[in-house]
Amino acid sequence: MTLRTQLYDEHVKLGAKIVPFAGWDMPVQYTSVKDEVLAVRKTVGVFDVSHMGEFFLEGSDAEAFADYLVTNDVLGAPTGKAIYSPLCRENGTVIDDLIVYKLSPGRVLICVNASNIDKDFNWIRSRHQGFKCNLTNRSSDYSLLALQGPESFETLSSMIRELPDLEYYSVHECVYETKQVIVARTGYTGEDGFEIFGDHETIRALWQKLMTRKVVPCGLAARDVLRLEVGYPLYGHELSDEVNPYDAGLGWTVKLAKSRFVGKEELTKKMTNFKTVKLLLDKGIPREGYPVLNGRNEPIGTVTSGTLSVVLNKGVAFARINLDKVPADEVFLVDIRQKPYEAQLVKKPFVTGGHK
Amino acid sequence: MATNIPANLKYTKEHEWALVEGTTVSIGITDFAQSALGDIVFLEVPEVGSEVKVGATFGVVESIKSVSDLYSPVSGEIVAKNGDLESSPERINEDAYGSWLIKVKIKNPSELDKLMSSEQYTEFCNSSH
Repeated sequence: MTLRTQLYDEHVKLGAKIVPFAGWDMPVQYTSVKDEVLAVRKTVGVFDVSHMGEFFLEGSDAEAFADYLVTNDVLGAPTGKAIYSPLCRENGTVIDDLIVYKLSPGRVLICVNASNIDKDFNWIRSRHQGFKCNLTNRSSDYSLLALQGPESFETLSSMIRELPDLEYYSVHECVYETKQVIVARTGYTGEDGFEIFGDHETIRALWQKLMTRKVVPCGLAARDVLRLEVGYPLYGHELSDEVNPYDAGLGWTVKLAKSRFVGKEELTKKMTNFKTVKLLLDKGIPREGYPVLNGRNEPIGTVTSGTLSVVLNKGVAFARINLDKVPADEVFLVDIRQKPYEAQLVKKPFVTGGHK
Repeated sequence: MATNIPANLKYTKEHEWALVEGTTVSIGITDFAQSALGDIVFLEVPEVGSEVKVGATFGVVESIKSVSDLYSPVSGEIVAKNGDLESSPERINEDAYGSWLIKVKIKNPSELDKLMSSEQYTEFCNSSH
């Protein structure tokens, strides 16, 4: 049986096209992927991402435990900050990528990918011993909205009076119509925006209110285009149980200066098996699984995610390149239906989002 | 899904339409197909003079998030292609039945009998989706 978020009926009412995703029936698009992407880039859109998982660590060692679990620096960040990080095994492979929210001293929220909730929770529980904090999986108690776009703050602050003008990647607990919600200035689109965690009824009320304010409902297809345009990896594509953070271009999240964390020993060796690159195509739309070739038409890797960028109207992709085969002359071709299309290696994000 | 299915056309199970005019057949994708695909952003069809085969793929149409093969309703030689659509494929979304992709000179008119009528296609769309 597939799961449905508490907002499922709202999506159907809005005429959303529903697809199965990570065991959930989720809205993939409402009207047009293009319009939804542009709403987030230019005005404001909202995503129901209630399928994602929420774990809480509560107790004196909450921050220390989170810091031990992930590669990025949790302890060094002040309370009120959000920290993006891979979650790795001892051998350095990536179990998931997640965000750690330092809500208040001794209270940490970890938000994980829907498809990995059970895997992550079991893993985290297996490393829990010796830390003085409670670990709870509250995924089924919480709904989650991502309000994204340059008009996000204006929109949300008109509905939550006490909403502070939070810094990027910070979090604050406040009240929406008598109910406690967790508001973070995070997202997966590169634009300014907020993620709002709350109980199902409160989030449903918030969603309905946002609909009356003409906020554009956006589906998973737009979300995927938006994250690719700004070069954010996606678990199951750029990240998986088979790769380490370096392979996926996430070396910046591995803080080897921390005294200890799971995977430190292996990750200190900085071994890479692959290189993840961003490719831009003037012609042709790259898709997951398409071969990447060098200038001599030899296969050197594979596209891990690809789409047409709505903003650029060009093909954009992440590709995993076999390290020993990266061409020195940097000629990249993507094999689309047995025809090679020229691709340009891009270091910066394809599109610059407007986040703070 | 509310969808527009003109009575004067023939249809395939893969959601192509065929307009028969003498021995020439214009081929496009149905309103149902364009609606299911969403924003169409890329179209690839063979050059004039190429041969297509009934039931075989002859090109692709891509939306932002998907690639779909095009299947020919008939066999024959391509005598025209709608070049304007390759530069503005979004026209297929705007007018699926006004947007023919290719015109084929048919070899075997009996193939047309195997295509669905508008009533059969309506039934097909309602039952399978």
